[in-house]
Amino acid sequence: MPAQNHDPDAEGDRPGRRPVPRWEEDFPIQTERDHYVARREFAKFLTLGSALLTLANVAIAFVGLRPKKDRPPATLIELASSVQPGGSLLFRYPTDQDPCILIRSTTGKFLAFSQVCTHLSCAVVHDPEHNQLFCPCHRGSFSETEGRPTAGPPTRSLPRIKLEWRDDDLYAVGIEV
Amino acid sequence: METRRQAVTLFTSVTLLIGIIVIIQLWLVAAALDALLGGQTAVLVPAAIASAVLLVINAGLLRLIVRLDSRVRRGTENDE
Repeated sequence: MPAQNHDPDAEGDRPGRRPVPRWEEDFPIQTERDHYVARREFAKFLTLGSALLTLANVAIAFVGLRPKKDRPPATLIELASSVQPGGSLLFRYPTDQDPCILIRSTTGKFLAFSQVCTHLSCAVVHDPEHNQLFCPCHRGSFSETEGRPTAGPPTRSLPRIKLEWRDDDLYAVGIEV
Repeated sequence: METRRQAVTLFTSVTLLIGIIVIIQLWLVAAALDALLGGQTAVLVPAAIASAVLLVINAGLLRLIVRLDSRVRRGTENDE
């Protein structure tokens, strides 16, 4: 049985080779080679990820440059004229799935914004004391006049709803992102 | 074995570089998505072009790795 009578020091006789201990003969794991192959495969995997990210960026650019759809039809905001200065009213525009908030400033001006917070889509509420729209989820706030974020985590403005008076009725006629 | 050890060091450096570029691309995607939702469409095309340039750099680095790999393999076979 040559394996049983094998002298571990015998491997070191070959010039330029380090002595191979007995355990390494039994478990011939070549760490260097393993790391080498792992890095090479990882680099390939990263480059594939890079290609997918480029594809995602091109898709985003394509979506952004696509011509916009026609303006949504004008929608009557019922009971708008009953809103007092400093008050607010909830309505849906352009579809029933899109909550919006109509606010009347203390100066009497009507303004409307999407009620969906641009941070994580919670519903914002009117805070007339501080002249702002407030998101209670993460304490974000938006300017009452422009919808710009003024505090908290939101970084994008609330989409503004264009309003138009027709006779004595107030209509939502478009969205300004 | 020495050649392979040097190659591992080089591969690690290049892989790190590729990883940094991928992180930049990830940031570009997040920024472009944020701009799209915010209605700032002017930055979308430059972001896509920048991402494509980074992909080309990554592909070049991968090519470098593949060529180096074949050279190392040849060297190892000759040693053996």
